Amino acid sequence: MWKGSSEGSDRFEYLQTLVTEFQDTDSEEAKEQVLANLANFAYDPKNMEYLRELQVPDLFLDMLTEENENFVEFGMGGLCNLSMDPECRDIILQSSGISLVTNRLSSQREETVLSAITTLMNLSTPSSRSEITDPALLQCMLRFSLSESPRLRNLAAVFLQDCCTREQVAQAEQQMQGQQTAIGIPLPKDN
Amino acid sequence: MAACGGNSSGCWVSPEVYKHHEQRKVCISRPKYREGRAAKAVKVYTINLESHYLMVQGVPAIGVMTELIQLCALYGAVEEYRPLDEYPAEEFTEVYLVKFQKLTSARAAKRHMDEKSFYGGVLHVCYVPEYESVEDTRLKLLDRRRYIMRTARNKARQREDKDGGTEEPLTSNTATTSEKIISQQDQRLHNYNIEDSSNSNHYSDFPLLPLPPYEHHYLVHKNQHGTMHTEDKMGTLYNAIIDTKQRPAQKSSSDREKSREHRPTPNQASAVRFIPRNTHLENRKRKMEDTVDHTCTELSGKNDHLIGPKLPEPPKLDMEDDSLNTTAMLIRNTMKQVGSVPDVKPVEKKMKPRRRI
Repeated sequence: MWKGSSEGSDRFEYLQTLVTEFQDTDSEEAKEQVLANLANFAYDPKNMEYLRELQVPDLFLDMLTEENENFVEFGMGGLCNLSMDPECRDIILQSSGISLVTNRLSSQREETVLSAITTLMNLSTPSSRSEITDPALLQCMLRFSLSESPRLRNLAAVFLQDCCTREQVAQAEQQMQGQQTAIGIPLPKDN
Repeated sequence: MAACGGNSSGCWVSPEVYKHHEQRKVCISRPKYREGRAAKAVKVYTINLESHYLMVQGVPAIGVMTELIQLCALYGAVEEYRPLDEYPAEEFTEVYLVKFQKLTSARAAKRHMDEKSFYGGVLHVCYVPEYESVEDTRLKLLDRRRYIMRTARNKARQREDKDGGTEEPLTSNTATTSEKIISQQDQRLHNYNIEDSSNSNHYSDFPLLPLPPYEHHYLVHKNQHGTMHTEDKMGTLYNAIIDTKQRPAQKSSSDREKSREHRPTPNQASAVRFIPRNTHLENRKRKMEDTVDHTCTELSGKNDHLIGPKLPEPPKLDMEDDSLNTTAMLIRNTMKQVGSVPDVKPVEKKMKPRRRI
């Protein structure tokens, strides 16, 4: 895929071509492919700077409100990859990323939900902590921690152990008992 | 969800077959410039998908477990392995679970062993993160975050150095200054490595094996390991990149640095051609308002909104006619509104349509 600098094509230019194609094409399929490309490029920290410059964090965030589930999954995957980087994290936080990502915890696709949880963990900073530890969000994680899927269960457990205090979890648990039981609500499908 | 009944998780629960074990169809519709050397499916890799655990399918059932593990060990220390007897396998083949000590090893093993022939069979190797414990998952994420942080810090320092360098006119001495930067960088990386190995010395006493020569292909760039010391930990792949890529790219990147200083030049602006952010924001706002309109009937109160999976929506009927569909949707929405009113605490907004009815 990556032709390398030996052919003189610079990485930045290549990424820019991808972004341009993404915006110019009308084909959903091409968009999906390019989006997946960009999300995979976001895995490599070497590209973070270029991706920031091309406003790819915002591009990924925009995908979260799309109807096409592939767009959402790939965009969320890209955010999961990008948000590890402190500067990208700050950009995502500034673009009200937390609520956009939180909204997608209800996705039917397990991969999307997993990416969302990891992204939220990455977005946790002293100033965003209160938003990340919102009782409703913790209750959602508590439900995930009962999931049949080991990956979802584990990730939710890490979230509950690392991103909030025990008191907060206990409080969320208490609130959950007061409410109607949420056990019947289906968890994401692995499709 | 491919779930078995009940909560009984024990060793005799037969392993489940997840979607991500399957080999996805390769994508054949990519334009030339996005075509890689190897055919790949459209898929996004995140740290959640990766794992120290690999599942190897398609191992011929001729008693070659030792050989398989020896092959795996070429890519790094194998911590555990066992046959997955209950996992549905093709006839005359076996499935194995292999846990590597390090993620980089698992990554290398997957890359080099997947779709390779092995004693007459073709192996299919995939990550199986569902075998991780909570602690495994935590460590995996922590390692990744630490590695990204370290790279970001290095990058920032490199930029600082470069900014210092660009004060001088960027002409013939570019090459020499960048050389200097690289050597400083190497020095620093070296220091980092020393620091790191003292932090995680429980790995460092393991004798490392050199990796087989790698091919360049898609997604490989994130972990190209050429030498012994780069195999050691995730962070060190930065080293490998400097050696191979950074040098030739140095000049062009410093040129860009220069052009970025007086941005936005018309040239740059037209080249990026990104839809301005505010239009996206508008779009998003509109969409969010739409969804709020649809879901506000479900949300009661302010604070106790439910995050996460919701009850499935009833399947949408297709009347095979646009007009009929629109009518059906209108009726459905009205019914939803009417039906939801008794449950919701009296809110002015919702009372209004009722009065009208």
